Parts: sequence; C-alpha cells; structure tokens
Amino acid sequence: MGYKLLDGIRVLDLTMVFAGPVSVKILADLGADVIKIESVQRSEVYTRANVYPENEPGEEPWNRGCFFHTLNAGKHGVSLNLGSEEGRELFKRLVKISDIVIENFSPRVMDNWGLNYEELKKIKPDIIMVSMSGLGHYGPLRDFYMYVPGMEGMSGLTFVTGYPDEPPLLSGYAYGDWVTGANAAAALLTALYYRKTTGKGQYVDVAGREAACCHIGEIIMDCFLNGRNRMRVGNQHSSASPHGCYRCKGEDNWVNIAVENDEQWQNFCQAMGNPPWTKEARFTDAPNRWRNRKELDKLIEDWTSQYDHYEIMGLLQKTGVPSGAVLNMKEVNLDSHLIERGFFQVIDHGEGIGKRPLAIHMPAQFSGIESFIHKRAPCFGQDNEYVFCELLGISKEELARLEQEKVLGGTPNFPPGRPTRTDLIEEQKAGWFDPDYLSELRGKYGEDIGLTD
Amino acid sequence: MVAKAFSEVRVLDCTQGVAGSYCAKWLADFGAEVIKVERPGDGDVTRKMGPFLRDESHPEKSVTFFYLNTNKKSITLNFRSETGSKIFKKLAQKADVVVENFKPGKMSEAGLSYDVLNEINPRLIMTSITPFGQTGPYRDYEATNLTVYGLGGAMYTMRAGDKPMGRPVVEGGLQAEYVTGVLSFIATVAALFQRVDTGRGTWIDISAMECVASTLMGHVAEYPYMGLIRRTNPFAIHGYPIGYSVPCKDGWISLTPGLGGAPNIAILIGKPELQDDPLFAKPSARMDNPEKFDALILPWLEKRDKWKIAKEAQELRLAFTPVLSPGELLEDEQIQARKFFANAKHPVMGEVTYPGAAAKLSETPWQEGRAPLLGEHNGEIYGSLGYSKEELIKLGTEGVI
Repeated sequence: MGYKLLDGIRVLDLTMVFAGPVSVKILADLGADVIKIESVQRSEVYTRANVYPENEPGEEPWNRGCFFHTLNAGKHGVSLNLGSEEGRELFKRLVKISDIVIENFSPRVMDNWGLNYEELKKIKPDIIMVSMSGLGHYGPLRDFYMYVPGMEGMSGLTFVTGYPDEPPLLSGYAYGDWVTGANAAAALLTALYYRKTTGKGQYVDVAGREAACCHIGEIIMDCFLNGRNRMRVGNQHSSASPHGCYRCKGEDNWVNIAVENDEQWQNFCQAMGNPPWTKEARFTDAPNRWRNRKELDKLIEDWTSQYDHYEIMGLLQKTGVPSGAVLNMKEVNLDSHLIERGFFQVIDHGEGIGKRPLAIHMPAQFSGIESFIHKRAPCFGQDNEYVFCELLGISKEELARLEQEKVLGGTPNFPPGRPTRTDLIEEQKAGWFDPDYLSELRGKYGEDIGLTD
Repeated sequence: MVAKAFSEVRVLDCTQGVAGSYCAKWLADFGAEVIKVERPGDGDVTRKMGPFLRDESHPEKSVTFFYLNTNKKSITLNFRSETGSKIFKKLAQKADVVVENFKPGKMSEAGLSYDVLNEINPRLIMTSITPFGQTGPYRDYEATNLTVYGLGGAMYTMRAGDKPMGRPVVEGGLQAEYVTGVLSFIATVAALFQRVDTGRGTWIDISAMECVASTLMGHVAEYPYMGLIRRTNPFAIHGYPIGYSVPCKDGWISLTPGLGGAPNIAILIGKPELQDDPLFAKPSARMDNPEKFDALILPWLEKRDKWKIAKEAQELRLAFTPVLSPGELLEDEQIQARKFFANAKHPVMGEVTYPGAAAKLSETPWQEGRAPLLGEHNGEIYGSLGYSKEELIKLGTEGVI
C-alpha cells in the first residue's frame, strides 16, 4: 500500500538551520504535507549556502547546499515575508488550511508579528503550534542567544562528554540540535494524536536544553540523590573492562570493543588467539581487569593495530563479543547494512547536481505500509504558484504584484556563493577528502549517481 | 482533571534496558496505561544497573530504572514458558501497543511473532527495537551503546578541534539508547495515529544504528557532495570556531562568535579599539588564525566566572553560554522558573527529584509519577484477566509470574 502515516496533515514550517528542519523532516518522512516558508529578505542562508556539489556554488548557490537538501527533502517551499502586513495576511490564510505551525524564532518574534498561539487559534481553533527555542518560551533567560553549544552545554551533556583530562567536548555534528528537533517531533506527534481523538489543538513549548537534560536523566539524578557530580569518563564503563575505542591498522582507523562479562572475555581472548598475557592474574576477573584497564588497553591495542576495523569487528562478532567499527562519513555512506535496509534515498536534484544518496530521519520500517521516495528539497520559492494560487486561490497577476513588492519571490537576498575552504580543512586536519567519492558511490548505488534523468 | 494525550491507550512494555523503556516512558508520562512486563525474579536489567540510591545495590533503588519507568505498572511474566505465552496472548488481545527489544527471531521462537499476535488482535501495533533491525547483514551482531554509537558514524566526529587525529570519544551517558527510544516513540505514535482511520495495526522495525546515523543530519551528505569526511566540526565550514569549551575562572564557557563579524567581543573584553581588527570583524581572519583570537580572549575569560561572562556577553548579543555540570542545573534560575524538575514519592527510595518534561504541552501536560516495584501490579492486572489469588500463587511457584 502506498499509504502515508500522516496522510493529509499539513505543516507550516517556519524553522531554520538544523533543529527545526530535522523535526519537520521527521514528519515529512512519515508522510506529512509540509510547506516550508522562507522569505526573500531572510532565507535559510546557513544551510542553503554550505557544502556544494563538487564544491561549486554555481549560479544559484542557494539551491545547491547539501545541509538544506538533506533536511528539507520532500517539503514544498515558498517565500513569504512575514515582516510585511500582506505577508502576514497570506500566512493567516495558510494557517486556516493547515494543521500544524512550527517555528524556532527568538521567543518574542511571533508575538511581535501578532502570530502567537492565541492569535492563530482564532483563525484555526484546532491548530497545533510548536515553538522551539534554546531555553524555552518563558522564564528569566528566555532571550538568551544560543546555538548547539548552548543546548548541549547548558544541559550538563557537554560537561560529561570527553576524556577526564580534557575540556568538556561539544559534539562534532550538532547533536544538541537533533535532540531538540526529535523531542519537538515527539511532542508534536503526541499533540497530533490527541487532536485526532478529541479534535482539540494545543501549544507546545520545547526548550532544547531541557530536552537534552532528559537524555542524561540518570546522570542528573545520580547527582541529586547521591551528591555525585559525574565527571568525564571517556569511553570507560563504570565496572567492565576492556571497554573502549582502539586504534586499528592504517591512519585514523578505530574499533570499539565492549566486554561486559566473563564469558565475553573468554571469547575475546580466544578471538585474539589466547596470547599468554591474557592468563595473567591481573586480568583474570572483572574487578582486576577494571583496576588494570590502562595496561590491558595497551595490550589490546597492540593486537587491534594489526588489522582493519571491519576485520576486528568480524573476528569478534564471530565469537559473540560486542564490537563495532568506528565508521567515518564515507563508510556510513557505503555501509552495506545501511544500504540494504534502505537508510539512504537516492534523490534526483536535477541538472548540475543529479542523484545523491541522502539519509532518512525517521528510520523505521512499518509492515504493510510501503515506503516512498521524497522529491528533492525545494528550490527557493519553488512552490509559490501551487501554494498561493492553487491552494489559496490568488490570481497569477496578484502573485506577480506580490513578487514585485518583494512580499514573495524566486530569488533570495543572498551572499555570494563561496566554495568550502578545503585547504584549511586539510591543514587543520578537521577532515579529509576522498577524490574518488563519486565512483565509490556509483559502485554502491548505480552508475547514475551525480547525473540526472 | 487534566487531559491525557494517550488516555485510552494500553501498552505492554516488554523491553529491558534503556531505549525501549524510554520509548514506553514517553507513552506513560503522557497518560497511556503502560504495563512493564518483567522477568520473574530479577526484573528489567536496569534494576541491576547503577547508579543506585546511596550506592546500595537493590532492585528497587536503581536510579536508572526509576527514571526510565515512571508512571508504569509492573507485572512479572516468563513468556518463554507455555503458560506464560498463553497469558501474554490474553494481554495482547486487550493491548494497543507492544514494545519489545528481544533479539530478532526470539519473539517467534516463543510463539509470539507479530503475525500470531496480529491474528489475535488486528489493531495491535508492535514496536521491535534492536541494534541493527530485523534484516540485513549485521542483524545478529552483538552491540552496546558504545559500539552502536561508533557504527552510526557519530563517534568519528567526536574530537576536539585542536586534536582532530585524537582517539574518538563516545557522547556522554547513553545517547545511542535515548536517540533510539525517542524515535521509537515517534514511530509508535504515528502508527497509532493512522490506526484511528484504518483500524489496522502494524509491525515497526527500528534499528539503533540507523537511529544514530540519522542524528548526523546533513553532515553525512558532505561525502556524497564533495567527498569530505569530517573528523571534528571544521572551522572552515562554519567560518568561525563554534562552541568549543574555553576555560574561565570557575569552569568552562562556550563561545559562538556568530556568522558575521563579532566586533562586540572586543567591547566585551574591554578593548573597543580592536573592533575593526580583522580578528573580530571578519570570520575568515579567525578561521586562519584561531590561536591569535584565543590569545586575545582567553586571558580575559580566565579571570571571570562563567555566568557573569555569559550575562555580559548576552547583553552585547553574543551567543556565549556557560558549560554547566549536572549539579549546577538545580540552581539554574531558568530551570527553576520553568519548574523543569519533577518530584515523586517512591515506597523504597522516598522523595525523588528527576528531570521532567522534555516539552511543555498546554492541553495534555506531561505527568510526574514514580516507577513501579517489581510485580507490584500482578494482582490488579492478572485479576482483571480473571485469575484468582490461588491461581496466581500457583503460577508464582511454577515460575511463570
């Protein structure tokens, strides 16, 4: 069946960057009909303007950024200036035919525009409105400016991440944004189910920092109940060893091994070929292994560094020892397990970009409900005609006038497109480049990667 | 009475550990009747997992179990036994959702595959949570939070900006588990939502590895777009050093100078004459010379406290935020004003304070409550199925419950 789980649910997506868009992308993956709203004056610059195909900004850089493509696939896109009276009137007409409004402006913005929940409810009594922010929509610090570092850092999560002798570590992939977005989506589904069964809408206030606190609940409670302010522990387990990340053969190649009981330890020794040191008294039982974990880790690394991380994983899994290669972004994109299960959708972005594999954000398979492939993320203002003329019944002449007055439009105010500074990334070793990425991808996804139909 | 979002929903939480319990916790905290089905004797493995109240190892004092099972009921049942399997089917007949995290194939072995349960109850939704899913080459691999986090691609990016070749580190706590729990909850509610119209249940297959990989968002596409494999958060993409933890007098602070120039940093550190210096005016200058930028700002930060710095910086519209330890959350004025922390009385643990709502819903607010004792609701639940006290005692001695 080509049935979509959230069939017929229309979402107005006013969000930008990562947290909001990933939240709505989860809904889009579940089949909701999303209209993403930007404006000529204020488009999604950060995600539209970064990481271009083949590092070429091209003539319309705003339609080429990979962050935007990933988190907005399957959404409709319109431009509308909510800073103008006419823009707000059109927005209100859209609210009338929608089910959900989701925004992540600073807390005062929607109020100032007269578009807060109380106002929207007058237009559409059963509307669900979600506001996402760093610290929440009320409270003395609600106006704090913050990005991911605030959401992670003010929750306690950053403090407990990293090695004991190093500074607290921020995630390298904006995890705090994902946490905020996913928790907002969870709250939204809750509200949506309630509306489905009672007909009532509601307002949802999501503070990214609080959502992140919920993801370290047991650590925070340990502190409240036992007075223990947990420090950074690296990859250590509280009582089991070996448990960590070990260097493998080649540059920057790592494997995780997590031995949690004696049976696994025996199997682990066997997989290593039972070297004599494994019989030494200092490693015989769990408490001893934990006490002498530093020496143990060194000996294990002597063994792991002779093999590639996939090899170690294979060897250890054969004997039932939990282990996993630390996959890098290339390996994730080429991983046979992820590909076989359909984690990536190959989406055609048309001339100059072509087909690229992009991840899904609601990675669940529902039996009896067929999955579907998204259309590419919208080009700027792509669906203005569909949304304003077809859905709202505005004439094409009117649309042209609005465009002239910059209430909407097809070309955003945008900084010049700049390629990513690959030289700096290499020099600072912040990442590395695989010149053969297109042919690697073609080997896994088909020869038309990078090409269009 | 306050409205509950899932007031008519009945859930059998057959999971052990963190991810599945967290999924079912969301349902319970928003009003579903969630029955935790535990192994007779030991119960959920998290009952044996620390931290414990006052470090006393005791099945009713596990802080982890408490946190993950608030507002649930608990029954004990060995559904690998023949009688147990029969009882489970009776429960499934009256349930809306089953959440389970057995290894792939184990439910079938116990005669409780989705097909069997679906025949008994066509409206039933079953959410199956495993490290790698019900299919695929890694299906039967062993995994833990650490190994799944690494396989999901997140860990490779977990390195400080100045140590990009260093040993990767796992995100603090049990993030692979929580990530999987939240996404499992979303999928389950989406299935409940469609069921209102279609009347049909569905079997949901969730893989923790995929859940972790989905948190990479657009960063995983840097490879198919330009062959980039990030080792950390590259300054050169952001155009500024984002959010690394910088030492100050009483701890750490994160700096996010902003996408444009940050001339206000010069004002903050009392050197307004440097406002037009490229280091403050141009992100590209910072990109090239992070250490020069640091040399100007670090000595100033070192002499000041994190909240004081953050508040002064915020006045200048700079996104500087303190890095808080878990213990500092209790004193946070914003947390207090929003009454984020919840309280519940537990018969063994006493008064317990714990993190509350992940989101504030105006009509169907999140509910506080405690975790159940092992088998606390055997009488109530099995009684409602028609078992007498004598029969329950017999089932108890047989090890079924």
